[in-house]
Amino acid sequence: MIAREDIDYKEFSLPAGVVSRRDLARLVIEAEHIDDEMTTADVRARKTNRAVETPAFTGQFTDFLTDNKLDFSESKVRTDIIKELRMLKTKAPVVHTTFAVPADIESLQTLAAWFRESVHPQVLLEIGLQPALVAGVYVRTPNHVHDMSLRSALVGKREVLIKDLEALRHGK
Amino acid sequence: MGLFHKQTDTDDESLEEAKLKQEQFFDDYFREELRNHGRWYFDKVIKENGNLFKKDLEAVIAQVNTDLKDHVTKQLDGAVATLNASLKEQVTAQLNEQFSTYSKTMQEAQDQALKNMTEGSDELRQQYHELSHLLKDNIAEQNSMMHHAFEDHKSQLQAMDEAQIAALKWLNQSAEKLQDQYQEINTMLEKQVTEQHDRLIQAFESNMASTVEHYILEALGDQFDMKAQMPGIIKQLEDNKQAMVDDIKL
Repeated sequence: MIAREDIDYKEFSLPAGVVSRRDLARLVIEAEHIDDEMTTADVRARKTNRAVETPAFTGQFTDFLTDNKLDFSESKVRTDIIKELRMLKTKAPVVHTTFAVPADIESLQTLAAWFRESVHPQVLLEIGLQPALVAGVYVRTPNHVHDMSLRSALVGKREVLIKDLEALRHGK
Repeated sequence: MGLFHKQTDTDDESLEEAKLKQEQFFDDYFREELRNHGRWYFDKVIKENGNLFKKDLEAVIAQVNTDLKDHVTKQLDGAVATLNASLKEQVTAQLNEQFSTYSKTMQEAQDQALKNMTEGSDELRQQYHELSHLLKDNIAEQNSMMHHAFEDHKSQLQAMDEAQIAALKWLNQSAEKLQDQYQEINTMLEKQVTEQHDRLIQAFESNMASTVEHYILEALGDQFDMKAQMPGIIKQLEDNKQAMVDDIKL
């Protein structure tokens, strides 16, 4: 397990299920909720001299703790983790991606995994839908736009088409 | 009955007895039998006599018929011959009389017809002469009118010929002008068609790209789902990976 002083949001690895900032916010809320329950249970256990009952975690939260080797049983550690998660929610780089068709969760997870492996380990995706793109993806990073849609490809190749038509006309 | 009258009465007793026996013998039944026998015999005799009489009568009738026929034939032949002779004489006389009447009537009719024909012929001849004179007058008059009309038409035709020549001359001039105008319009149209063609080609070329693009967009609009696109998207992301890394590091 990672020591308390080593807990840093910059070192956090996001589970595959956390794709967007909303997913991360849900993770933070769950962490806060579990922390509340565990604190209450701890106080109650002290009064009644009973063992502390650990609440059930969601799979996503369990993955997060496991991937980052975090122990959520200690109160101070929990507080640090929640604080770092809040920082992560604010600081994590967001990439806006727009698709021509509604994206399924598996594709989004694949895409998020690629971004986290190739671009930044904590990239969060914001998903949009624009049918006019026909196919491909429209990506907007903080300072740049990468239009990788089929519409953009057709517009880019328009000169080639005009050149071919011109050649065909003169050939006739 | 006569048979019984011939029997002699010997004595009264025997007569009475005989009468009694006779009455016993000749009872009603026997009498009826005798009557019937007599009736039958009478019928037989009558029938035989009737047949004989009938045969004789038929022979007599046949003979009478034959004789009567011969006699009537002879009488009729004589009467017919007499009648024929008298009838022939009478008919001949009447026919001769009628023939003479008819001949006379025919002769009169012939004479009348000949007279009428002679009179009609004279009238016809006179009418023919009158008509001939009238026709000659009419022909002379028509000839004069035709001559005048011909002269008039001749002058009109001459005027028409002159007008036709003038019209032809004008038409030729118009045709030459039209030909010149046609050439000019043709040249202008060819020029305009060429310009229009070039404009259309340019418009076609400039719009073709967007048309093809629109067609492809419409045709492929719903053909790709996300999973099918993922390999291509990942490949394009790989191509732009460095730019994105640099942008996020900033």
